[in-house]
Amino acid sequence: MTFHIPGALREFTAGESTVKIDTAPRTVADALTALWTLYPGLRDRLINEQGQVRQHINIFIGSENIRYTGGLSGPIQDSSEISIVPAVSGG
Amino acid sequence: MIGQVLGHCRITAKIGEGGMGVVYRAYDELLHRDVAVKVVRKDAGLDASSSQNLLQEARASSSLSHPNICAIHEVGETDGDLYIVMELVEGKSLYTMSAGTGLPPESVLRYGVQIASALARAHDRGIIHRDLKTANIVATPEGLVKVLDFGLARRMGGGVLEAPTMSFSTVQSASSVSGTLPYMAPEILRGESVDARGDLWALGVVLYEMASGRLPFEGRTGFEISTAIMREMPKPLGPPVPPGLWAIIQRCLAKEPLQRYQRASEVQAALEAVQSGAIVSPNVAPDQDQPGPPKITTMHSVRHAQIKKGDSLLLVGTTKGAFILRSNSQRARWDVGGPYFHGHAVYALAYDDRAGQHQIWASTSSYWGTLLRSSHDFGKSWTNPPQAPIRFPADTGTSLKNIWQITLGPADEPNTLYCGVEPAALFETRDAGETWSLVRGLFDHPHRPRWLPGNGGLALHSIVLDPANKQRFYVAISSGGVYRTEDGGITWTAQNRGIRAVFMPDHFPEFGQCVHKIAMHPSRPERLFLQNHWGLYRSDDSGENWTDIANGVPSDFGFPIVMHPHNPDCVYVIPVDSDEFRCSCEGRLRVYRTRNAGATWEPLARGLPQKQAYETVLRDAMATDSRDPAGVYFGTRSGQLFGSRDEGKTWQRILEGLPSIVCVRTALVDGGSAAAVRSPAVPRSDGMKSAASHKTHRSASRTKTRKK
Repeated sequence: MTFHIPGALREFTAGESTVKIDTAPRTVADALTALWTLYPGLRDRLINEQGQVRQHINIFIGSENIRYTGGLSGPIQDSSEISIVPAVSGG
Repeated sequence: MIGQVLGHCRITAKIGEGGMGVVYRAYDELLHRDVAVKVVRKDAGLDASSSQNLLQEARASSSLSHPNICAIHEVGETDGDLYIVMELVEGKSLYTMSAGTGLPPESVLRYGVQIASALARAHDRGIIHRDLKTANIVATPEGLVKVLDFGLARRMGGGVLEAPTMSFSTVQSASSVSGTLPYMAPEILRGESVDARGDLWALGVVLYEMASGRLPFEGRTGFEISTAIMREMPKPLGPPVPPGLWAIIQRCLAKEPLQRYQRASEVQAALEAVQSGAIVSPNVAPDQDQPGPPKITTMHSVRHAQIKKGDSLLLVGTTKGAFILRSNSQRARWDVGGPYFHGHAVYALAYDDRAGQHQIWASTSSYWGTLLRSSHDFGKSWTNPPQAPIRFPADTGTSLKNIWQITLGPADEPNTLYCGVEPAALFETRDAGETWSLVRGLFDHPHRPRWLPGNGGLALHSIVLDPANKQRFYVAISSGGVYRTEDGGITWTAQNRGIRAVFMPDHFPEFGQCVHKIAMHPSRPERLFLQNHWGLYRSDDSGENWTDIANGVPSDFGFPIVMHPHNPDCVYVIPVDSDEFRCSCEGRLRVYRTRNAGATWEPLARGLPQKQAYETVLRDAMATDSRDPAGVYFGTRSGQLFGSRDEGKTWQRILEGLPSIVCVRTALVDGGSAAAVRSPAVPRSDGMKSAASHKTHRSASRTKTRKK
């Protein structure tokens, strides 16, 4: 499972743009939990304290936004590529 | 030994035996309870000093009171034998329970949380276990875990305790170190000093063993085990072990202590996160590359103003970052530092010089959430905490949108601060921002469900402390009105009598007013001034009643209201045309000042644009400084920063072209720590508070002179 980390968050991954995690998650939430267990600073940047993905953050599994594939409880494969992408919005 | 009495405990049966001594079941005849008594053998290799150490350690451990720590009741000596009376725990050791294929993940998590909690308590008290292992942890039939022998495993004299604790394990330990080899952290084997992180390594071994039934580092000899601990990675644990649990174990078993969790409470939180199956449980572990929150970010690519003792500062928050401006006492030219927090909205800033420090606080808001950050070096580096310091508890069902206000607590409580946030709530810290808690008395107020968001959101934007009464302070909410507490935040009452709410069917409701800002001069704490969504008011009775004071202003709509630092009758506002337009009246940018507490108002416009100047100044974008004559400053949504160094008589444009300005604060840098010692009470971060500081500062100076 490989995470692609945006530049703004690499401060929390020791500068790494990709993070590979050797686990077998069942859901997106599992995968993210494994990610921020390793890199705790990512958690609060991606979800709010109620466990929801922040409004202007998109998480893609491959090319699919998880908002349309079951959200955090959606399934995930060991070989998934997960991209964290800030939304194109704001002024 | 059976039948003998040690202290007031009669020995009734033998429970176990090991290299260090024997453990007995006993009956405490004084307190009428069953206990366990460990008797350390005379021949256990303890010299006099080691015996004393063991006693001291046991006494220290006896101070630990925690449901997951086996309590030590008494320590003593009889006929040269040391004995320790402790809670009798009846259950099975995790060593026994884990044998074979290990425990179900649910049990591993349940027990792991309890062990981590026990370690957290002990570490907080400065007590390290040093020999945590499954054999030293007992689970009762009810599922309660008890960690045994806290603080008892310690190197004694020059010898080595083969199996120093109650479990009496037969595992051979390495030379010159205490503990049990398969649970020993690499740094212990290297002979380095041991700290609490050694226990966290051992916790990782315990978790691994519970999850799999085997040890992560194995070997036929002590040398092989040591080599594995020092050099090898544990064999990965797959299903049914949840990925989150495996990740926690890996982090506990990082070879370098700096790469592990740094505190047991972090492990506990991480285990709880996995245990809950939810993504919401707190995870406070620090970043791997730079552990130890709060993480610090150095602003290399930002221009910094060179700040010196005696400088005036302007802290400017915009929708795209913050700026720090400095000037000398003349305040004629300003050197600009920034932008800090590139692209982040900075709605709240504060300068905290209590306790001899120079700390700037800032709230930052972006795609990535809202954070409270601080700098001790005037912006060269900032905290960047892995976990958002201010967060709504899970049970509120609410999440933080923005931090609107940062207010310092009393001068003699330098660790106390308050934050007003959106959605409307008050948070407080008593440990200088390390931890923040929601002020429940206000959050649970029965009015809260009926507060309505204003145009800027449902925000608690004003926090005003009564300098004469620490238990009393005020908050203002758009749209909720003014609330006051008389008991330090436990209970709150609406204080809006006389304040209009033109957008409500009842124009004078008990609450629900859209108050834009309130201000108080510290020398007149019973008197408050208020800029309303339509309406300028003054209260002379601590907010009980409000009187309209919009006598001669072109509009009573506006946002900021600030006090003159030295004159409690002098207040500044910036009227805007209307609710719909919200721009300076008639295209003329004018500040209005009263010097008689609102009886009359005068325009201050010299130097301000008077043609086609349709400007808006937001509620926190205005401040006064504490110099004499006072400085007055404000920023506009169009990114212009204006200042007056003569109390508003004349104005200059300090900067233009900034992003929209949402916050302006002032400070007077009164030297470094040495200077702070000389004059302990120095100015604050906004005009209102500057007044008190200035006064105190003068007073402090006089006191010092007299002492000379």
